Amino acid sequence: MIQKLLNIDRRWIFLFIFVGVAAAMLFPLPLPIRPSSDVKNVYNTIESIKGKPNATVLLSFDYGPGSEPELQPTAISIIRQCFRNNIKVVGMALWPDAVGLAQAAFDSVSRAEGKEYGKDWTFLGYKTGSVTLILNMGEDFHGAFNVDYRGNKTSEMPVTQHIAKLGSFDYVVTLAAGKTIDGVWVTYAVDRYRIKLGGATTAVTSPDMFPYLQSGQLNGLVSGLAGAAEYETLVRTQGSATRGMQPQSAAHLIIIISIIIGNTMYFVQRRRDRRQSVSGNEGTRS
Amino acid sequence: MIFFKRTLPLVIAFVMGIVAISIYYIPHQAAVDLNDLLSKWDRIIAAFAAFLGVYSLLYLHAGRLKRRQAGWGYSVFVYLGFVVMLTAAIYNNGAGPLVALRKGGAYDWLYTNVFVAADASMFAILSFFIASAAYRTFRARTTEATILLVAAVIVMLGRVPIGALLWESMPELQQWLMNVPNMAAKRGILLGVYLGAVATALRIIFGIERSYLGGDE
Amino acid sequence: MQRLTQFACIAALFWTGTALASDAVETATGSKTPLPDSVRALPPPLPTQIRAADVPSDNGKAVVVTWLPDASTPSLVRYQVGVATNPSGPYYFGGEAPAAGPIVKDDPKIFGWSPVNPDHQFLVVSSYMVPPATPDGNPERVELRPDQTYYLRFAVVGDSASAELAAPMSVTPRQNWIKLHKLNNLIFGLFFGVVILSFIEFARRNPNMFIRKIAGLDAVEEALGRATEMGKPVYFVHGLNSMGEVSAIASVNILGRVARRVAQFDTTLKVMNNDPIVLAVSQEVVREACIDVGRPDAYVPDNVMFVADRQFSYAAAVDGMMMRERPATVMLMGYFYAEALLFAETGNVVGAIQIAATDSYTQIPFFITTCDYTLIGEELYAASAYLAREPKLLGSLRGQDVGKAVLIAILTIGTALELAGIHWLTHLVAPL
Repeated sequence: MIQKLLNIDRRWIFLFIFVGVAAAMLFPLPLPIRPSSDVKNVYNTIESIKGKPNATVLLSFDYGPGSEPELQPTAISIIRQCFRNNIKVVGMALWPDAVGLAQAAFDSVSRAEGKEYGKDWTFLGYKTGSVTLILNMGEDFHGAFNVDYRGNKTSEMPVTQHIAKLGSFDYVVTLAAGKTIDGVWVTYAVDRYRIKLGGATTAVTSPDMFPYLQSGQLNGLVSGLAGAAEYETLVRTQGSATRGMQPQSAAHLIIIISIIIGNTMYFVQRRRDRRQSVSGNEGTRS
Repeated sequence: MIFFKRTLPLVIAFVMGIVAISIYYIPHQAAVDLNDLLSKWDRIIAAFAAFLGVYSLLYLHAGRLKRRQAGWGYSVFVYLGFVVMLTAAIYNNGAGPLVALRKGGAYDWLYTNVFVAADASMFAILSFFIASAAYRTFRARTTEATILLVAAVIVMLGRVPIGALLWESMPELQQWLMNVPNMAAKRGILLGVYLGAVATALRIIFGIERSYLGGDE
Repeated sequence: MQRLTQFACIAALFWTGTALASDAVETATGSKTPLPDSVRALPPPLPTQIRAADVPSDNGKAVVVTWLPDASTPSLVRYQVGVATNPSGPYYFGGEAPAAGPIVKDDPKIFGWSPVNPDHQFLVVSSYMVPPATPDGNPERVELRPDQTYYLRFAVVGDSASAELAAPMSVTPRQNWIKLHKLNNLIFGLFFGVVILSFIEFARRNPNMFIRKIAGLDAVEEALGRATEMGKPVYFVHGLNSMGEVSAIASVNILGRVARRVAQFDTTLKVMNNDPIVLAVSQEVVREACIDVGRPDAYVPDNVMFVADRQFSYAAAVDGMMMRERPATVMLMGYFYAEALLFAETGNVVGAIQIAATDSYTQIPFFITTCDYTLIGEELYAASAYLAREPKLLGSLRGQDVGKAVLIAILTIGTALELAGIHWLTHLVAPL
């Protein structure tokens, strides 16, 4: 029986996860969400630039649909916070499949907050090159992106005409699922062009970012769905991340319970094996 | 022939390696301009590489279809997906391929309802796999494994609101684990990684490592 | 019009400070208006030791102004700098700093670790704003140019009054040929380079160099042999990296060694790629490896394939192939993200021997729990040298170890010195 439980078919575990997550979605329990200092740092930096003439934030969408549940709520919350504080937002994408996600985020928030394209925000679209694109932007922003996604000249749009280079942005936030925070933005943009950088990333890659947080190269980090929920709490608008906290809590609990069960079985089995070997030895001696 | 297959690539690797390293230390405008030019070349080459990928993919699946190789039905889906998405993108909701992507068209619909959904589903599978891997392998066999196991449970609880509900200092403990012991281990690994990266780069720049050119010598 | 108003406000702030001598402010549109009495009434105290200098180690497009703030300066004032190409003007807005702005000792990149006047404030000016020629136009940002002499006027602007330095300062930005603040990096890089090259030379003369065993690489032979016995393919799955990354180069190097053994064993090798350039290089590497061992027929172009360039499309496709073909051996090499566990768990399900090598710190735990052997971090880079057993390559590994020993020594001594309140070693190795 114990051996059977130890080698349980993984599909049973899949089923437990499915049932637990589904139950938490169907019968949600209100859970307290306390913003961490890393999330507050991103929020406070944006708050600190409000009122500054031509205050502009660059948002880089560096993720794909797979990471949408974790990163899209943060993107929406940051855009919302900027728009509410009359801060201009420029969007760009280092991942081609982020284009649709960025547009969706901008469209929904700009409509809700009554902001105008070209004046309050713009989206530059996707360009290849990652590192080389950042290097181009660092030297000549209008050269790197001479037109936005809709074909408007960046040197003529009110939202971007005052941006000479990457350093002209008051704050840069990269929403990244992969290696773009440490591999591209920190290494090239922060080191070379001394920009202030905040990040948002998936929970699984966030430990990769801690050295940069400690060194100050990254001034804040919104980590995974939990971070997104904390950001939603700060901007006082509950969204999909806050709702996602219940199923995520349930999934974590099930994993912990399965680890405990697995270990209990393991120890029971080990004790049984030891007893058998001791009695076996005694048998040999007699 | 050897010149084009061996000598020239090695010369290019050496020259570009030295130039790229030098640019990092030279602030002069000439170096900045050269850096700008090289980065533009890199982006152009990267754009052409996309064609290489598409060609390889379509060529491979054409062969499978032609030979009716096992699983050729999947190759039909590759072609179907490619043609449908390409047509929808070129049609661009009636606006044609030369203007920015229009919202609300077939491409938009396919992207949101097929690509986004499929991609997110693949990522979601991860949670099932993590659970099964944790059940099978997270065993307190030794003292070190037990410490790891306890740390993992604290981090998992501390990352979600239910952790704070169970014990209000759980998030802080989780953060400390991530920031101190975890970072110490990570820095140790990273120091080795970066030194290894520098050593590999030097081996390539000086032509000592050549297996990336195919063959050994 | 709104843009013009915004610019006029910024420009007026500066000119309010700079034009006190003439008792008039030149606005963005060029008209002159008399100053209100309140502005003339209480000018904030002007700082002392105001100086302008070229920014060192740059491309000659910035200058820096430093000053010693007066202790009685109200906290709400701003320090502004006007820029002109002639001493007589016109002066344009070049930038401003708040009263509690950065001080010299906060920026060792410009002023070094031991500046003469550490508590002076500073402002870096790299451009100035020229007002629009027409009312409908936009202000133009003009960057400073190397070797052009600029004249700077310095002003303190309060809420209701301003003070200005009587004479303009002149400064000429110059281009430099070396980033002095990166000198420590350059010296360490050169030192490390010399150490590695020396050990390569040493290894040429003494080929019998001891290298510790790497279990994962010793298992390659066994894993390939198992695939041959079972008559099943070997999967070589590249990580999500482009050819510009060291992990991709290291993976391709390992692929070359693996392809030779596979060709000798007459086993099927399938190489999965998600980057077209890595694909092209992998094809060439496998083809050359087959030719090298005298088995050109063993190279099947279709087996080195581009799967998909999107992360989860790649994961789905490779997992699907694994489930259908049930490979005997799976090698996961390179930089992986969330797809790592998707590959490794699927490999586990089909019962393959799995060897993973990654420098992706976050995925190492997943590989350790699900794979038979895992090469951690630098072992990925060392793998090619280890498999080749070529003295030149092994020499570089020894050099790497010496570099690591030096780093450990610096870390240990640096920590002790920091605890004792001595900072010079930290400053010496700090990245700027």
